[in-house]
Amino acid sequence: MIKYLKQYRFYIVLFLFILIPVIAIDTSTRAPREYRFYDRVIVGLTSPIQSAISWTLEQITSSYENYIYLWHTHKDNIALLEENRKLLNSIAGLRETQQENIRLHKLLKFEEKFTLQSVVARVIAKDISSEFRSIRINRGESSGIHQNMAVVTDEGIVGRVLRTTRSTSDVVTVLDLLSAVDAIVERSRARGVVEGLTDDTCQMKYTLRTDDIQPGDNLISSGLGGIFAKGMNVGTVSKVNRKPFGITQDVEVRPSVDFTKLEEVLVVLNGDWE
Amino acid sequence: MTRLILRLLNAPFLILIVAIGIALQSSLFCTWPLIYLQPDVILPVVVWCALKRNFDEGGIITLIIANMGEIHSAAPSGIFLLSYMIVYLLVRAASRYFVIQSLISFAVVTLISSAGWTLIGQLILYLLGISASQWKHTLTFMLLGACIEGVFSIWAFKWLEKFDWSTFKNLRAEQAMEDELQLNNEGF
Repeated sequence: MIKYLKQYRFYIVLFLFILIPVIAIDTSTRAPREYRFYDRVIVGLTSPIQSAISWTLEQITSSYENYIYLWHTHKDNIALLEENRKLLNSIAGLRETQQENIRLHKLLKFEEKFTLQSVVARVIAKDISSEFRSIRINRGESSGIHQNMAVVTDEGIVGRVLRTTRSTSDVVTVLDLLSAVDAIVERSRARGVVEGLTDDTCQMKYTLRTDDIQPGDNLISSGLGGIFAKGMNVGTVSKVNRKPFGITQDVEVRPSVDFTKLEEVLVVLNGDWE
Repeated sequence: MTRLILRLLNAPFLILIVAIGIALQSSLFCTWPLIYLQPDVILPVVVWCALKRNFDEGGIITLIIANMGEIHSAAPSGIFLLSYMIVYLLVRAASRYFVIQSLISFAVVTLISSAGWTLIGQLILYLLGISASQWKHTLTFMLLGACIEGVFSIWAFKWLEKFDWSTFKNLRAEQAMEDELQLNNEGF
């Protein structure tokens, strides 16, 4: 027996190397796995680094935009420059606070409109793969966040919580190909499912060819699925391709949330629709 | 003794470095348009393992770092494990038929592997019935991603070579260590 094991060792190991990933692929459900113990150790190691880098980048960008950029325009006057540096530094801090204040105010108004109980979280990292589009936020189980909670901004739906650790959560955005949001066209009440397509577009699937959908139509969540409240903005129809045959039509959607500028989000702990 | 311990720690350190690399990749390149320029930290290490490690060790490291990649992505369970493992096996098979000696040839292998990895990933997703309509977007950015990966890998391989040398993992360092142990045994 041992002789055979030694003789065919390479093939046995090769078989195991292929078998392990194949077993890991869960084809029966589209729900991703929860974090295991060693996954949590890895995330515990990487998330502080991600938070630190994200904070540093924010500070550098803020300094560049508000201070260094203006530095050359005042180089003739050294005395004024010194004073100007100090003032600009204070202004930069204040402006950042003001911008944050405006954003948080908008989020608060949105929260009041839908009677949401929620927590504000900051985006600290994005997906390592360009094929999938999740984000990582700096709030987790310790803030009451659990799997499948809705994540929104005042602009509309961002996505849902995929998995959590104590201090971070991964959010699968509406741009991700694993995302599915049941939506209705605000004007004609046509129904479909919005799924991710590219870095800035989604597609609305399962809409009947006879449904009245036009570019520019606004899409809102239908409330089905129990994750998102009814009436939240999903996006705007950007392209409709109605073929002369078949039962469905191709509808491209531009999400209402600008994911390139996403900094803070609201994680909905519970809402009045539940 | 210290050298032996360093040699044993090579693999755990490599895994730790990849974890830090993933954290850097996911946070440094999270803003637009940098997101299109992000290199894959895992792929050069997989290629390196395929070319510079024995079959068992390289395979196990590949599975571990692919799993780390998976927990930093929304990718369905097992996709990264399978696609990186296929790349690992293909590069390993290719190294038996082609002479892959210099850093530049390593970089070319990584460039091809990057494109291959993308296509393998898409194929698996297609077979699972997940991404039927994303292939246009994938193909658009595949070449750019592969070029970035190729350029990044030159730097990564230089660094990995130094890392292996300092942990006595490459052939020359191993030989030097064995010579020294032999001299010690003979009483010199």
